[in-house]
Amino acid sequence: MIQLNSLSKKYEEAIVLNVDKLSIDKGEHFGLVGNNGAGKTTLFSLILDLIQASSGNVTINSIEVAKSEAWKKDVAAFVDDNFLIDYLTPEEYFEFIANLRKVDSAALNEFLQQFDAFFNGEILDQKKYLRDFSKGNQKKVGLAASFIGDPSIVILDEPFANLDPSSQIRLKSFLASEGNKDKTLLISSHDLNHVTDVCERIVLLEKGNVIKDTPKSPKTLKELEAYFSGQ
Amino acid sequence: MNLFSLQWKETFRAPQWEAKMSIKVIMVLVTLYFLGAFVFGASMTYPILNKKILDREAVEVFNGIILYIFFFELILRFFLQQLPVTNIQTLILLPFKKRRIINNVLFRSVFSGFNTTPLIIYLPFAISMYRDDYLGTQVVAWWMALLLTTLCLNFLIYIINKNNLYFVLLLAVVAATVALYLYTEFDLGHMTGALFDAVVAQPQLVGFFIFPLVLSYALVFYFLKRGFYMDAGLAKTKTAVQTGDYSFLNFLGEDALILKNDLRMIIRNVRPRQVVLMSFLFLFYGLIFFTQDIYRKQDFVMVFAGLFVTGGFCLTFGNYVPAWDSSYYKLLMTQNISYKKYLLSKWNLMVFVTAISTLLSLPYLYFGWDVMGIIIAGSLFNMGLNTWTTLFGGLMNKTPMKLNVKAKAFENTQSFSLNQFLLIIPKMVLPVLLYWLPAKFMGPTAGYLSLAGAGMLGIVFKNQLADWVTVLYLKQKHETIEAFNK
Repeated sequence: MIQLNSLSKKYEEAIVLNVDKLSIDKGEHFGLVGNNGAGKTTLFSLILDLIQASSGNVTINSIEVAKSEAWKKDVAAFVDDNFLIDYLTPEEYFEFIANLRKVDSAALNEFLQQFDAFFNGEILDQKKYLRDFSKGNQKKVGLAASFIGDPSIVILDEPFANLDPSSQIRLKSFLASEGNKDKTLLISSHDLNHVTDVCERIVLLEKGNVIKDTPKSPKTLKELEAYFSGQ
Repeated sequence: MNLFSLQWKETFRAPQWEAKMSIKVIMVLVTLYFLGAFVFGASMTYPILNKKILDREAVEVFNGIILYIFFFELILRFFLQQLPVTNIQTLILLPFKKRRIINNVLFRSVFSGFNTTPLIIYLPFAISMYRDDYLGTQVVAWWMALLLTTLCLNFLIYIINKNNLYFVLLLAVVAATVALYLYTEFDLGHMTGALFDAVVAQPQLVGFFIFPLVLSYALVFYFLKRGFYMDAGLAKTKTAVQTGDYSFLNFLGEDALILKNDLRMIIRNVRPRQVVLMSFLFLFYGLIFFTQDIYRKQDFVMVFAGLFVTGGFCLTFGNYVPAWDSSYYKLLMTQNISYKKYLLSKWNLMVFVTAISTLLSLPYLYFGWDVMGIIIAGSLFNMGLNTWTTLFGGLMNKTPMKLNVKAKAFENTQSFSLNQFLLIIPKMVLPVLLYWLPAKFMGPTAGYLSLAGAGMLGIVFKNQLADWVTVLYLKQKHETIEAFNK
């Protein structure tokens, strides 16, 4: 479904990403881990055609992302604050995304109901603009919005960061339930527990290179902990 | 000392300094030009007043209008002056005494460009006074009185700025002053003038001008000290939500989506509101030119004026597309929006506002059909062609926009480039030629038709033009995302 072919990204002389071949299948839950500067965000930005590859290419459903815009209807993403429109209320923001994805307002309301617990009564009907919400609540809005219209691929960069513990657990169970719908999920996280809970395939990046690519097994968490503690 | 060095770094590490050398030179030249214009204008005022008005002293006449200058200055400051207050937030926990931080902030505000009026306007006037036959002490006292009052305004604006109610109050005072002057014997402007006349007569009276300054300083000091907590005076004020219902736009179908968003952006953010206000002022541009017979005979002045009257919004708003959307550009780039639709939606908004401006400019008919003809032809040219030229220029503008922060003077010069400068040719020089050539040989009607016709072509071929600009936009996609990410 998503194919990376001899993909690399260089800034001046520094190589920040270098992936020879990587393919992500339909319905896969793909977890990306690595320390700061390992190239996680770079990888997602290349898949979303937000930055230009130095060599190689990315295809989504056989469409090369840098050449055509046709892939956009299948993909939703929440990477950082630049995905929020800060002068809208959460309702207006959801409506904006829903309109873009051809979801009518009745369907949108129904969709939002499943987030009642996740939103914890702090998101809807607050009569506040997004810029006046806390970081954590802004994140909840962005995460929920990326599932509007049931896109077949969802890319989330650090979805658990900035969320309180209850919300992290609720998000995890939501992501697990979405997994049953044949949705392809790409998630990066610093939290090894969460990422091994949600994903069935773990890719470890170090200085732009894939150094581990394994299906999740009961041992995965232990191995990752060993790697990150430097053993 | 610490605070001072922080301020020093803030000033000299500001992004404006990173601009290209050529732009710095242009900035300096433009600044010098305006300085020169003000100084020259102010020094000419005295001799002109002296010659034209024989029964009163020139200083008295000037003092008589000084109140209106102050009013104008306050309103201008309200819209444009950036107060250094928010910088305090980072210092609040560090071991600085509150008094010191507040004093420092207030002291710094004195060096704002808005406090240069005493230097560039009052000083040249004072020098002319001295060269006439006033004593040195008289001139110095008069100038000091104006300087002290300007500083007083500088502190007052802190208070006015925090609460829109005070601004409404200010407007009410201005309106009341004008109404009283027009309909009664009570003339506040004359009374204020008398104060300054008194200083000229008895220079030692300038001492009294210290009191309002001290009072305004104390007031602001108290005001800032009271609000010296993160959640009180210093926090950015959270605005109450304006939930306008824009569903009436739904008849536009998919185009309504981005249009609705643009309307919300304009209504809910400081910076775009500023632009809309400025473009409204463009409507009055014609009053300067159409009222003077010398200009009426010069074709190029008429065409310029005609373009400006209706083109304010189109020329200013379009210049910041796509920078208006810079804070959520990544979202737009990954969502299912085609670039062409995005551009056409911005174009529709610009055309719509230009059409409204044209309706609002109908009173210009008072000056005759030739004026109205040039305004309507200019408006069509703005709608059809200047919209596209400006959108093309906006693409080169790669400075991210802080929507909810007032613009500083020269804020966007960083993004000003030679290319944008060259765009003046299609925006301004081309329409002059389009009017002037046919008008010269076949009379003004041919000129109007040629100018309007060029605009109509732009409207008819909007899809082709949109395709063409879209290609340019797509080419620069990654560069733009990267620039907006800073």
